[in-house]
Amino acid sequence: MNEKEFAQRLRPWLARIESTVGEVQATRLGAARRRALDAVREPVRLFGLITVAASTAQTIRYSIVQRSLLWLPMAALLATLAFQTTRTADPGAIDAQLLTQELPPDAFLDQDFQAWLDQPQG
Amino acid sequence: MARSTARLIFAAVLLSIACAAGARELQTPQTPWRQLTPEQQRILGPVGPEWDRMPGYQQQRLLGAARQYPSMQPIQKDRFERRIRDWSQMTPEQRRAARETFQGLRRLPPERQHELRERWLRAHPERSHR
Repeated sequence: MNEKEFAQRLRPWLARIESTVGEVQATRLGAARRRALDAVREPVRLFGLITVAASTAQTIRYSIVQRSLLWLPMAALLATLAFQTTRTADPGAIDAQLLTQELPPDAFLDQDFQAWLDQPQG
Repeated sequence: MARSTARLIFAAVLLSIACAAGARELQTPQTPWRQLTPEQQRILGPVGPEWDRMPGYQQQRLLGAARQYPSMQPIQKDRFERRIRDWSQMTPEQRRAARETFQGLRRLPPERQHELRERWLRAHPERSHR
């Protein structure tokens, strides 16, 4: 019996017991699989600095992407709060500037003025 | 599965906090006119009759503007006093639009800002002293 035939015979057994495998056993099997794959895969050089097993490199890359996605909402929140803080530090400062500069405030509601503002500079 | 759920809950909590931060402006409590200092009442005098009917966030913006008053040049103080009443009677949307356009103007190079101001004043000569 060659390797392919052995795998074909083994497959129904593995499929049958798949549903009975607990979380701990699944973790162990996953680790065993990674070790087995590491034995046949070429090691990977990370950032040109260190050489690690292929599965470790895969885990690190996955972890970086996953963590980035997790921190994305946090970064968005911090940016929002920072923006709010700067905006509300003295909410009247911009109004004071608007009220005291050369043009009356309603000039900035003038559609002509808004159109000029959008025009590319000549 | 458990980690995905935890991540979803975490994202939902962050979203709620962000929404709460956005809603904070609308929940600003009102400041009664009688609680203003005599100096604030003098500066904000033109809007005194309407003050107690204004929403809290608008009062805070006007108080913020009033804080700048002592450091203004005489011509700026004059403009502030003449314009504040009309300003406070604009709708929130109009004020927001005016701020955005004003900030858009300020992002332009100084010579372009000057050119646009001059252009508007030439088009509205009757408004040049307001």
